[in-house]
Amino acid sequence: MPKRSSISLFTLIGVLCASLTGARALDETKYPDWKGQWVRADGAEGAPWDTRKPWGLGQQPPLTPEYQALFEANLKQLGAGMKASDPTTRCIPAAMPRVMMAIHPMEIVIMPDTTYIMIETFSTLRRIFTDGRAWPKEREPSYGGFSIGQWEDTDRDGRFDTLAIETRWIKGPHSYDGSIPLHKDEQAVIKERISSDKSDPRLLHNEITTIDNALTRPWTVTRSYRRDASVRPVWSERICSEDGQAIRIGNEDYALGSDGLLMPVRKGQPPPDLRYFNQNQMRN
Amino acid sequence: MQGRVLMGAVALAVAFAIDDGAAFDATKYPDWKGQWLRAGSGQGAPWDPAKPWGPGQQAPLTPDYQAIFEANLRDQAAGGQGTDPSYRCIPVAMPRVMIAVQPMEIVITPDTTYVMLELFSTLRRIFTDGRQWPKDVEPSFAGYSIGRWEDTDGDGRYDTLVAETRRIKGPHSYDSSGIPFHDDGGAIIRERISSDKANPNILHNEITSIDSALTRPWTVKRSYRRDGNNQRPIWSEYVCTEDNRHVRIGSENYVVSGDGLLMPVRKGQPPPDLRHFEQAQR
Repeated sequence: MPKRSSISLFTLIGVLCASLTGARALDETKYPDWKGQWVRADGAEGAPWDTRKPWGLGQQPPLTPEYQALFEANLKQLGAGMKASDPTTRCIPAAMPRVMMAIHPMEIVIMPDTTYIMIETFSTLRRIFTDGRAWPKEREPSYGGFSIGQWEDTDRDGRFDTLAIETRWIKGPHSYDGSIPLHKDEQAVIKERISSDKSDPRLLHNEITTIDNALTRPWTVTRSYRRDASVRPVWSERICSEDGQAIRIGNEDYALGSDGLLMPVRKGQPPPDLRYFNQNQMRN
Repeated sequence: MQGRVLMGAVALAVAFAIDDGAAFDATKYPDWKGQWLRAGSGQGAPWDPAKPWGPGQQAPLTPDYQAIFEANLRDQAAGGQGTDPSYRCIPVAMPRVMIAVQPMEIVITPDTTYVMLELFSTLRRIFTDGRQWPKDVEPSFAGYSIGRWEDTDGDGRYDTLVAETRRIKGPHSYDSSGIPFHDDGGAIIRERISSDKANPNILHNEITSIDSALTRPWTVKRSYRRDGNNQRPIWSEYVCTEDNRHVRIGSENYVVSGDGLLMPVRKGQPPPDLRHFEQAQR
């Protein structure tokens, strides 16, 4: 009888251990606690890419002469109230790396094979694959790009504290902050190091390095995110197309007036060509 | 001696249990990893896959909403868009997005199950942390969802996620035929998402809509299939605004032709009023 009890007890222990140490389980103690709602720590909406420097020419992006000229032309357009150079005004996603400004909240969900970054801006979902995969030979470009990451335990305390990410195949057109362009060849590579602040667990830092043919050298900026203290934060949807105020016909942008009528976005802009309408019905 | 060994073993097991307290025990939850896609009919699929599209759905609509539905069908037949706002890149909203005409991923964590749908980049958070309904939540196209896990066969592992979704933003319809929801924004959607008993690569979703435009709750069963052989599926982005040819000016819909010019969508449609343009006024 004692022998049978021992066997039963060992069986019980075995079952207990098996259920507790299942190979598929996520050991949260190995990963940083990045739960909750994160939002940019510095800079308001429309803030510059490098938060330590002024917006516009003050950013001093290391652009090639060709792209510096494009940048300056964009600034002139923006100065004249024209936003056509910024595709987000047409509800085209802000894309990487600009979306990592996190002007709207973001959530980070860590799973063993993938870390998900869900950003309210343009409902962007980034999948950072941490399953040890190699770069695929080819991928369709996307605004979120294709990202591979690896976890690092930089202070060797037995818990990962830094996620190192590389993102390729980013779809254009995209810019850093609405004015500074990336090269249109869609060959940009973005390297990120997202890490917990050493003293404040409510603060994340992201060192973002862009390698792009529009640059004369890699350009590194550090952005930070602050966590909302709320245990159950409120999440919103931001549907750019909902208000329907931005209208594009062919290569021209127009606006919709409060009276529901089409309006020019610049002085002297010609109206759209209406040749496909019955001429007898022309109102003007 | 034997007793001391046993005591030690038990202590070890207990220590494992304590040490692992913060861990997410994935073995308690179903394996719904991977890429899921609607099983059966393709894009433009009817809400109830067991019945034909349009009037064949026999939606239990009130007379008022049946009339709206039929007017919408007539408008669609004449080249219009009816009550379906998705042509303007307005998300298809709950529950239509759960047709899953584009792939979806389900990520399960103890507090939240995330349903990530490619269509309109819809992200659903189904909170399973035991919370109560909040007093006030801004309506959204995905709505606000609270869920709970059930182990229906008692095998120690959850197999069914029961979710309820409220505060869904309109306008929204069940499918592309434009079967409308009530414009009071009070729809409640109940789902039972469960693994197929025989095939782990099939999910079932029993979806019940409770809405003031209906004479009774309307339940349909939809299914999703997983490519079980593909451990690293390809995910795409669906950016509706990128190539949307539809233009809405005031209350009129137009399209942009291949040569970039504005075109009517129906015979005899008047052109837009251009009074705000200097050149048009000359």
